[in-house]
Amino acid sequence: MSLLDVQGLTIRYGNDTVVDGVDLYIDRGESVGLVGESGSGKSQSALAILGLLPRQAEVSGSILFDEQQLLGASERELDTFRARRIGMVFQDPMQALNPYLRIGAQLRQILRSHGGTDKAAVDARVLEMLAKVGLPDPDRQLRAYPHELSGGMRQRVMLASALIVEPDLLIADEPTTALDVTVQAQILDLLEDIRDNTALLLITHDLGVVAGHCEHMIVLDKGHLVEQGQTTTLFAAPGHPHTRTLLDAAPRVDRGDVATSATGSTILSVSDASVEYRDLTAVRKVSFAVREGETVAVVGESGSGKSSVVRAMLGLVPLSAGRVVYAGKNLEGPVERRLKSQRRDLQLVFQDPVSALNPQMRVRAIVAEPLLVHEPSMTAAERLERVTAILEKVGLSERFLQRFPHQLSGGQAQRVAIARALILRPRVLVCDEAVAALDGSVRRQVLDMLRAVQADTGLSIIFISHDLAVVRSISHRVLVMYLGKLVEAADSGTLFTAPRHPYTQALLDSVPVPDPVVVPKRAPLRGEVPSPVNPPPGCVFHPRCTKAEARCGSTAPSMRDVAGSSVACHFPN
Amino acid sequence: MKTLRILGLCLVFAGLYACGEADEPAGPPDTLQRGLPTDAETLDHHKARSLQAADVLRDLGEGLVGYSATGELIPAAAESWEVSDDGLRYTFHLRDGLRWSNGDPVVADHFVAGMRRLVDPETAAVYVDLLSGIENAAAISAGDIPVSMLGVEAPDDRTLVIRLAQPAPYFINLLSNPSTFPIHPPSIAEHGDRFARPGRLVSNGAYKLAAWVPGSLIALTRNEHYWNNAATAIDAVNYHVLVQDTAELNRYRAGELHITSTVPPDAFAQVRNQYGNELHVSPQLNIYYYGFNLTKPPFKDNLALRQALSMAVDREELVEDVVGRGEPPAYSWVPPGINNYDPPRLSFSSLSKNDREQRARHLYRQAGYSEDNPLRVQIRFNTNATHKKVAVAIQSMWLDVLGVEAELINEESQVWLANMREAEVTQVFRASWVGDYNDAHTFLSILQSGNGMNMPRYENEDYDELMELAAAQSDPKQRRLLLEEAERKMLSDHPVIPLYFYVSKHLVKPEIEGWGDNVLDYHYSQHLSFKAAGGD
Amino acid sequence: MLRYTLLRILGAIPTLLLVIALAFLMVHAAPGGPFSNERVLPEHVEEKIEKKYRLDEPLPKQFIRYVSGLVQGDLGPSYGYRDYDVDELIAETFPRSLRIGALAITLALLLGMAAGTVAALRQGSWLDKFVMGFSMTGLSIPVFVVAPVLVLLFAVKLHWLPAGWTSQTGISRYVLPVITLALPQIAYIARLTRASMIDVLGRDFVRTARAQGLGTATVVRVHALRPAMLPVLSYLGPAVAAVLTGSVVVEEIFGISGMGQLFVRGASNRDYTLVLGIVITYATLIIALNLIVDILYGIIDPRVRYR
Repeated sequence: MSLLDVQGLTIRYGNDTVVDGVDLYIDRGESVGLVGESGSGKSQSALAILGLLPRQAEVSGSILFDEQQLLGASERELDTFRARRIGMVFQDPMQALNPYLRIGAQLRQILRSHGGTDKAAVDARVLEMLAKVGLPDPDRQLRAYPHELSGGMRQRVMLASALIVEPDLLIADEPTTALDVTVQAQILDLLEDIRDNTALLLITHDLGVVAGHCEHMIVLDKGHLVEQGQTTTLFAAPGHPHTRTLLDAAPRVDRGDVATSATGSTILSVSDASVEYRDLTAVRKVSFAVREGETVAVVGESGSGKSSVVRAMLGLVPLSAGRVVYAGKNLEGPVERRLKSQRRDLQLVFQDPVSALNPQMRVRAIVAEPLLVHEPSMTAAERLERVTAILEKVGLSERFLQRFPHQLSGGQAQRVAIARALILRPRVLVCDEAVAALDGSVRRQVLDMLRAVQADTGLSIIFISHDLAVVRSISHRVLVMYLGKLVEAADSGTLFTAPRHPYTQALLDSVPVPDPVVVPKRAPLRGEVPSPVNPPPGCVFHPRCTKAEARCGSTAPSMRDVAGSSVACHFPN
Repeated sequence: MKTLRILGLCLVFAGLYACGEADEPAGPPDTLQRGLPTDAETLDHHKARSLQAADVLRDLGEGLVGYSATGELIPAAAESWEVSDDGLRYTFHLRDGLRWSNGDPVVADHFVAGMRRLVDPETAAVYVDLLSGIENAAAISAGDIPVSMLGVEAPDDRTLVIRLAQPAPYFINLLSNPSTFPIHPPSIAEHGDRFARPGRLVSNGAYKLAAWVPGSLIALTRNEHYWNNAATAIDAVNYHVLVQDTAELNRYRAGELHITSTVPPDAFAQVRNQYGNELHVSPQLNIYYYGFNLTKPPFKDNLALRQALSMAVDREELVEDVVGRGEPPAYSWVPPGINNYDPPRLSFSSLSKNDREQRARHLYRQAGYSEDNPLRVQIRFNTNATHKKVAVAIQSMWLDVLGVEAELINEESQVWLANMREAEVTQVFRASWVGDYNDAHTFLSILQSGNGMNMPRYENEDYDELMELAAAQSDPKQRRLLLEEAERKMLSDHPVIPLYFYVSKHLVKPEIEGWGDNVLDYHYSQHLSFKAAGGD
Repeated sequence: MLRYTLLRILGAIPTLLLVIALAFLMVHAAPGGPFSNERVLPEHVEEKIEKKYRLDEPLPKQFIRYVSGLVQGDLGPSYGYRDYDVDELIAETFPRSLRIGALAITLALLLGMAAGTVAALRQGSWLDKFVMGFSMTGLSIPVFVVAPVLVLLFAVKLHWLPAGWTSQTGISRYVLPVITLALPQIAYIARLTRASMIDVLGRDFVRTARAQGLGTATVVRVHALRPAMLPVLSYLGPAVAAVLTGSVVVEEIFGISGMGQLFVRGASNRDYTLVLGIVITYATLIIALNLIVDILYGIIDPRVRYR
C-alpha cells in the first residue's frame, strides 16, 4: 500500500485553477521527484498535502496518507501528522526559519509540542540532530540566530527540524535552489545520507537534481499531470512532448557544443582592479579583457566578487585600485560623470526583470527611454520605429508596446529589459544573472536570441552567472572567481574539458547532471565559502583545497599560463 | 528567561502602585463633602485672591466680624466694638478664650501683625488696598514709610484700636474679609512665606487644615481650640476640586457630595425638575455687564449712541431665554439686596419694549448712524459658552433693532484681560464684578476716576465728588441718599450696559441643616449640621 | 549595548534644552502673566511682585537663571500655587498620573493585543468584524463623551463604582479612569496588532512552524507574537505620551489631582515655572520611553542588536 496516495487533487483560487486533477503516489522509502516549470503547481500540491495553503484556496480531491484522509481534516488532526509523520523543508531557509528565535529554541519547541517533556532528553536530541546534519560546533549553534549562520548551515538546520521527530515522509520544496553550487551538492549528499528509509518527495525545476537523486519522477505543466514513471525511463524515452521540451531545454555542463574562441580585437580591458567596501575587500587585483563579438562569462559563488568587479567596471561602485580601459580610453569615476558615449556603449541587464521595469510605464515608453537621453533629436515617430524594431529582434510583437510590466511574463519582461539595453546599439552588454529567474524553455529562447544579436551586431557580452551549465552553452571564454580573486581564465572548450584550478574542477563536479545514467558525484568540497571580511592568507582557496600544501597557506599564487589557460594555483592540473 | 521577565514586570507594577498609596484621607463617615469649582491657589490669606480660596479660608480662620447664615453682619473674634463720633476711631474688644488650633491664645497683637503684613509692600498682597482707609496705609503700601506706622494698635491683649484716615461708614464690613484675619507670628517666624501648608498651618477658625492635595482635595477637621467649638456640629469638611460642573453634578447624584458649588447651565432645567427643593438659587452681589471703552471713538463723547445700544437690549429675553437660570435682569449697577440701599433704575426701564426700541432708533440716528451708515463695532469676551450665547444674542438684538453690525471676538482669559486693561483695541467688552462686602460702595467705588477696576475709564467729576461726600458722611440715611444720587448720575451717562445679576446655584442634600441663602454666597461650614438620624 | 544607551542619553540633553528653550519662549510670548487677573493689582504691588519673582528682568537673563537653577535640580517656585515649589507639585501629582497611565497602557496592551490576535486568527469571521467594529467605535468616541456616560451608568445609576477620585480610597476608584483612558488605546492597539499579526502569520517561518505541527496556540505564542509586537512597540512611545496628556480630560472629569490638570491650570494661569517644570518632565519621560522602546526592539529582533 502506498504511503501517500493523492488522487484528483484540484486547487482553485477564485476563477484561477492552479492544480487540476493531479494524481501522485509515493511508497515507503521511495524517492520521488516532482518537476515542472514555475507555475506548474508543484509547490501548491506539496503544501496541500500538509494543509498549509492560504485560506483562500479551494481544495478538492483526496489525499490519503497511510490510509488516512488528510484533505479536509481539522487543524488539530493535521498537527498529529505534521513533523511526526510528514516533515517539510522549504526553499529559502532565511525566510523559513524564525529570525527572532535561536536555533536551539526552535528545534526544542518541535520536540516539546510532540510530547517531549524531559528537558535533558530534548536537549540531547537537538544536539544529536545538529551533529547529524553536519553542523560544526553544535553546542554553540544552539544559541545562534538564523542570520548568524551561512546559507548552507541554515538549510542543514531546516533539514534537522524536518527530521527531528522521525517522519515517514520528507517533502523538500526546492531545498537547494537558494544555495551556492558547491553547497548544493553537500546538501543533496546530506539528504541522501540522512534520510534512511524516510520517503522523499523532492520538488525541483532542476532536472539534474531529479536525475541524480530520485527513483521516480512526476512531471507537471500548468497544473496538469503530464507524465510520471521511473526516472531512467522518462529520461531515456519521454512520452509527452512537454517532457521532451523540458529535457531538451536542460543545459548540461558535461556535454554540448562550445563556442569557438572569438577573434576580434580587445575592446575592454580590466587591469588589477580592486573593489573595497567599508568592511571588506570584494575584489582583489583582477585583470581580464573582452574582445569584440565575444561572450565572456564570470562565474563564482557568493562572495566571489563577480558582481562587484563588473559593477566597478560600469562605474556603479567605486574602483578602489586598478584601471578599466574601453576603446582606448580610461573609464574613470562614477557612471554619472562619465562620457555619454561611454555610458551608452556599456549596458546592463539585471536578474529580476519585474523590479527593473517601472511598473507605471508602458513597454513602449520603457524601451524608448534611453533614446530620450542619448538621441534627443529623434522625433516621436522615429523613436517608435526604433522601439518596434528592437522589440521584434528580441522576439516581441507590436502588441507588447501597450502593455505594462505586470502584464508580462518573466521571460517577456526580461526581453523588454534586454530590448531597452540594446536599443542604443551598445558595444558591451552585461548580463548579471539575467536568465537565472527564467524557466528552462524560456531561458533557452532568450539565450538563443542573445546569440543571434551577437552574431548580427558583433556585440560583446559579459555574462555573470552561477549556473555553469548555462555558461557552457553560451560563452566563448570563462573567468572563475573565488573570494575576490580570479583563479582561472580559459576558453570554454578548455575549461569544461580540462579545468586546471582545483576550484574549477570542484565547481564542475558539483553541478548535477540531468542524466540518470551518470552516477552523481559526491560533493567535492567541504565547508562553505569563508566570509570575505576575513579571507584566508596565501591562496584564498587553500583551506578547502584537497591539494593544498604548506606553501599555499603562506604565498598567494599569481596568474600563470598553463596550456592555454590562465590559472592562479601552485599545483594546477 | 521568560519567567524572569514576567516577574520583573510584576515588580515594576507593584512598585508603581506602592509609590503613591499615601493618598487623600477619606475622613470619618459624617464628613461634609463640598464641591469647589477650582483649586484654592494658596491658603495664605494675604496672598489669596480667588473666591474659592476665600471660602476655605473662612472655614479655617476668623476675623473680627463675620456673617450669619442669612447674611447679617455678626461679631466674630470681636465680641463688641465702638466707633468714635468722628468716625475715625474703631475700638474692638476681643472675646475671652480665643485660641489658635495649636492651643496658643489669640491676642490683639496678632491682628495688628496681620494687618501690617497685609499692607506691607513686600508681601505683595492682592487685597492690599482693602485697608487703604487706615491711617498711613497708603503711604506704607507705596513703600514710603515703615509698616510699624500703620494706624492699628493693641493697647492690651484683648483690645484693638484702628484709626482711619477718613471716615468710611462701610469699613466694618471689610473686617470680615479673610485678608484681615490675624496671623500666628511663631509660624511666620519658623516657616516664613510657606506657613500655609498642611502640617504647618495654624488657624484660628472653626477648622484646621488636615490635608491638601493640590488640584484635588482640601480636607479640614474640627479645631477643638476654637472658642465656639461647642456650636460646631460637623467634625470634618472635605472640599473636592471639581473643575467640570457636570462631573460635580454626577458626584452629587451618586451621593458622594452633599453640597455643590454650582449647577451646569445645560442641566439646569432638568435639575430644577428633578431636585426641586434641593436646588438653592439666590441673587448674588455680582453683575454681568458690557462696558464701553470711553477713551476712544465711537463711544467717546457719544452719549446718544451708548444709550441707544443699552436700550436696544431686551434684558428680559436675555435672562429668560438665553441664560435661563433664574438670573434677574439688571437695570442698575448695584445689585438688589445690598444693605441700606435701594438702587435707582435706568431711565428707560419702565418703557414698553416697542417704545424703548423706537426711542433707541431715534437716539441712534441722533448719534449719526442709520441703516445706510450702520455702526460697526467689536464685542470682546473671554472664552465661555455662556458669554458666547449672550454675545450672539446681543449681536442679533442690535442688528434687528438698530441695524448695527457687531463682530464677536472670543479671547482667551488672559488676552481678554490684557486688552481690557490697556483699553487700546477694545470697543465693547464683556465684564463682571463681584462685591467684596455688603455695601453699595464696593460697586460704586470702582467707577470712580482712576480706580484700577474702572474698565470703561469713566471720568465724571460730579460722580467723584458725590462719592467723596458719601464717604465722609456718617449718617447712614444721608449717606444712602448721596450714593443713590451718584448711581443715578452714573447710570444716565451710560458708561456701561448692565445686563443681569448673577445668582448662586447650589444643590444641597436634604440631610444638611443650617443652610442659608444670602447675597454674599458665604456658607460657613460651622453653621451647618446633619439632620439627626431617624428623623425624616 | 551599554555604550549605545549612554550615547543616546547624552544625545538627549541638547534635545531637552531645545524643548525647554522653545517652551520658555512660548510661555512668555502669550499675553498676560501669572499675576494679572480680574482684580487689577495696584501698580506698585504689581511691580513688587514682578520684582520678587524676577519677571522684570530681560528674557534671556531669566532664561539663563532658570537653566542654571535646573542644572542644580531646582525647578523654582510655582507662581500660581504660591505656597509650593514646582518640584513639590510635580512630586505630588506625577506619580498619580503615571500610575493611572501605566495601568491604562498595560490594560490596553493586554486587551488590545489579545483582541487583535484573535481577530487576525479568525480573519474575516464575524468575530473579526465585531472586534474591529468595536475598536472603530472606541477610537471615534472622544474621551469626554465616554467618561461621563460611564460615570452615569456605573456610579450614578448602579452605585457600583465611585463617581470621583476623592470619594473613596482603594482600588475601585481606579477602575473608571483607567478604563476611560485605555479605551481608545485598546482600539488602536487591536487594529495595529491585527494588521501586524495577519502579516506575520503569512510569513514563511510561520508556515514552517505550522508544518512542524506545533498547533495554532503554540505557533502564535512562540513564533508569531514576538515579531507581531514590533509595530505595537514602536507605537508605545507616542501612545504613552498620548495617555499621559490625554489624561487631562480624565483628570478633570474624575477630579484626579494629576499632572495633566496641573499643566492646563498652569498654562492658563501663566504659571511659567510650573509649566516649564511639567514640560521638562514630559519631555524627559518621552525621551526615556523612546530609548526603552529601542532597547526592547533590540531584544525582540536580534538582527538590529549590534548597531
